Amino acid sequence: MPELDIAATVNGRKIRRKAQPWQRLLDYLRDDLNLTGTKEGCGAGECGTCSVFVDGTLVKSCLMPVAKAQGRTIETVESLARSGEMSVVQRAFHKAGASQCGYCIPGMVMAATATLRLDPHADREKIKERMGGNICRCTGYQKIFDAVELARDVINGHLPQTALLETEAKDGGYIGTNVRRIDAPSKVTGALRYAGDMVMPGMLHVQVLRSPHAHARIVSLDTREAEAMDGVEAVVTSADVPGVDGFGVFVCDQPIMARDKVRYVGEAIAAVAAEDLLTARRALEKIKIVYEPLPGLFDPFAAMQPGAPVLHDYAPDNLVKHIPIRVGDIEQGFAEAALVVEETYETQPVEHAYLETEAGLAFVDHDGVVTVHSPSQNITHHRHMLARILALPINKVRMVMSPVGGGFGGKEDMIYQGMLALLAMKSGRPVRLVFTREESIASTAKRHPSHTTYRMGLTREGRITAAKIRIVYDGGAYGLSTEGVIRKGAILAAGPYDVPNLQVDTYGVYTNNTPSGAFRSFGSLQSQFATESHLDLCAELLGMDPFELRLVNAMRPGSTTHTKQPLSSCAMTRVLEAARIASNWEPGVAGRGATRGDLDGPGTRPPMTLGARFATGPDSAAMSEAG
Amino acid sequence: MLTCDDYLVPETLDAALRLLDEQAGKARIVAGCTDLLPWAREGRAGDVHVPVLIDISKIGELQARHVEAGRVRLGAATPFQRFLDDPPMMTALPMMPRCAVWFADDQIREAATLGGNLVNASPAGDGFPPMLVANAEIELARWEEGKVARRSLPIADFMQGPGRTAIAPNEIMTTIVCDALEGYGASFEKVGHRRSLVISVACLCAAVKLDAQGRFADVRLAIGGVGPVPQRMRDIEDALHGQLPEEARLETAAQLGAAYVRSRSREAYRRAVVPGFVVQALLTAVKRAGASARPRETELAHA
Repeated sequence: MPELDIAATVNGRKIRRKAQPWQRLLDYLRDDLNLTGTKEGCGAGECGTCSVFVDGTLVKSCLMPVAKAQGRTIETVESLARSGEMSVVQRAFHKAGASQCGYCIPGMVMAATATLRLDPHADREKIKERMGGNICRCTGYQKIFDAVELARDVINGHLPQTALLETEAKDGGYIGTNVRRIDAPSKVTGALRYAGDMVMPGMLHVQVLRSPHAHARIVSLDTREAEAMDGVEAVVTSADVPGVDGFGVFVCDQPIMARDKVRYVGEAIAAVAAEDLLTARRALEKIKIVYEPLPGLFDPFAAMQPGAPVLHDYAPDNLVKHIPIRVGDIEQGFAEAALVVEETYETQPVEHAYLETEAGLAFVDHDGVVTVHSPSQNITHHRHMLARILALPINKVRMVMSPVGGGFGGKEDMIYQGMLALLAMKSGRPVRLVFTREESIASTAKRHPSHTTYRMGLTREGRITAAKIRIVYDGGAYGLSTEGVIRKGAILAAGPYDVPNLQVDTYGVYTNNTPSGAFRSFGSLQSQFATESHLDLCAELLGMDPFELRLVNAMRPGSTTHTKQPLSSCAMTRVLEAARIASNWEPGVAGRGATRGDLDGPGTRPPMTLGARFATGPDSAAMSEAG
Repeated sequence: MLTCDDYLVPETLDAALRLLDEQAGKARIVAGCTDLLPWAREGRAGDVHVPVLIDISKIGELQARHVEAGRVRLGAATPFQRFLDDPPMMTALPMMPRCAVWFADDQIREAATLGGNLVNASPAGDGFPPMLVANAEIELARWEEGKVARRSLPIADFMQGPGRTAIAPNEIMTTIVCDALEGYGASFEKVGHRRSLVISVACLCAAVKLDAQGRFADVRLAIGGVGPVPQRMRDIEDALHGQLPEEARLETAAQLGAAYVRSRSREAYRRAVVPGFVVQALLTAVKRAGASARPRETELAHA
């Protein structure tokens, strides 16, 4: 394979290095030059974490073959802070709090820099348009746009340099003061190293073989040809697990890699550690597996039928858990109701889509301590589980939490750290795995899809007399956080409303879908969607203002929750009032549609448009017409 | 991931064509690479090995562009961003800035080329409707008997189906030659899931010229994303030619648009979208041509 001889100017320095002809500029910067401020979020040009300047033009380095960099001038985020002095854009991001997990931020800083170089007076709409190629999952963008506007105004002299300094704390206290995040400088400069940015001498690259079947028995698994390949240092399967194989948050039902059968598409079966990524990928193709397909279950209701195929021997009814709550007497409550409303609600699986995909680096240290760096949201629990799985005393297992490039609950499960530990032990070398975006989406936990059946009884005045709520959550192939999710779903099923007679049943069900797990709000989003939608329907049928219906039923100080917790304080009525005022709510019955007068009012966002740059500014001169 | 044994960057068309001839069956032509790299990933083509990649983006002829005798010659490797920052192109092809601003994002447009968009022949390729409207001819070159041989064909004959074109394995698209539409009012409509980096669910281009009486002296419409191949909407054009741009007339003619929907997914949605797109695109184009559409007669009576 002829190597390329790439000569370029990178961050002001002349570089000349060999490169593989298929490498991308991103690989060259990160792997060969160790410039890891440029991140990889998707590898497909969608996210902008890899934005760099090439001859002064911002491009996505994941879409540029390195051969195109020949003889050109490259500037990465590392070039912006000169001699440790952050640029105005970087200081503005620091001031505005425009970094949370930080993973998108180097790319955002580059895109903001490009925007202000091309259009120094860009207004907010133009900033949005020009930065449209960069995605942030944490911030909701507002603080990022605030930062770019602040930088613009400082650069243009409309604001003094002191606008970039931290606001003085009032009277020595910090309540009500905008405090700059202490970790922001490392994020806005790209200096912070996430697990996928870490390297160690002698480090091997890991790739994972994943199941193409939703449910199948593994008849045979032969890794000998892969192990014999040049450059392959270790291959592991469930046969390499020395201890008690199984992890999970509430029930340890998931093996490190599939054991005897696979239960979802994307489940890990084997992992390879090799000298380079390409060899590891090619080794996966040499692993021979014979499957015997089994009937799959993709609907939790089908899984709950008697005689349905069984996923886990310990759960012959395919139930992860059933959580019941009983309050008062619902028969009597419904008998007292003037109106009974029934409806069903469904929610879909949702991907967390943090910009940093799962990644980890593991090694066995000089004292024989198996050490795993990963953006785990639950390292202590992982450490305990891993010690049992590896049959090691707890002091021989160390979990280190690397910076989390977005989690939202999606990094609570120990889905890959075990493979890394096994490979580090078997190969005796440091090993690193970085998920591709596609792998992350296909194989990691999702928000639980749900199906809610709601029955509510109310008086003519809108007082809830009874509610019967049944929520079936699709837990997917493994337990993960399902038990906790459905427990929270049950506890909060009826919302912050005082329901005197209540029956709640939540079920977590095994299916052959991608496992469901923790995700912001942990099961209550599903039940709140049902409850709030249902109250709107009830308000419409009662001819009541939806705010009024909620106020009539809201829990108050002195109320007791449906799980018997006395509330000495409760902000529900104050929250409702604040929301009513802030939304410019026009009192009236639900379901008024376009006849309402409070739509599109102050504070609501105008519809999405493109072409802001045509209206004014440098591009407008050539456009002969307006609009 | 995409791998190759060699990545070659010829600087002349001759050299590129000779390489393509020598490496017959082993080589693939690339320019911006913005479609190729995402294609060679899990869920699409998976890991792909192409023995030789031939990068044609450094060839001067393929980067050149100028206006000549009412026609525009566009090098096939012209990046989309040039339609947003090259004033002669923005004047000669008034629909292209509007097309380009919806195309991918500011960064990808610096690499992605018009020729690459056409060669990939996606039914939703945003480059097709404006080039159909501009009566584009596609110039192709190949190496034959020791020299460059060329041919040219209309864009409507060039794309033959999803991912299929008339280009032969030994040919490179060199130039797109199309009408200069200076003085036309033009518009580009697109709907997708978000505003950046979005594949069109439907896209539509309109270019109109009005006579002294404000009638359609020329009206051109083309639609993409709703069937296997983007198309000119000749029946709508014929129905409007010589007519005044009255809103009611536009709405009547636009109903013909639903018949162009022959896609395999979201057909009902597309049928609902297309007539509205036609009206919106024409109203905007008429406004940009310097007139405003006459309101419906009912509204006139009401006023």
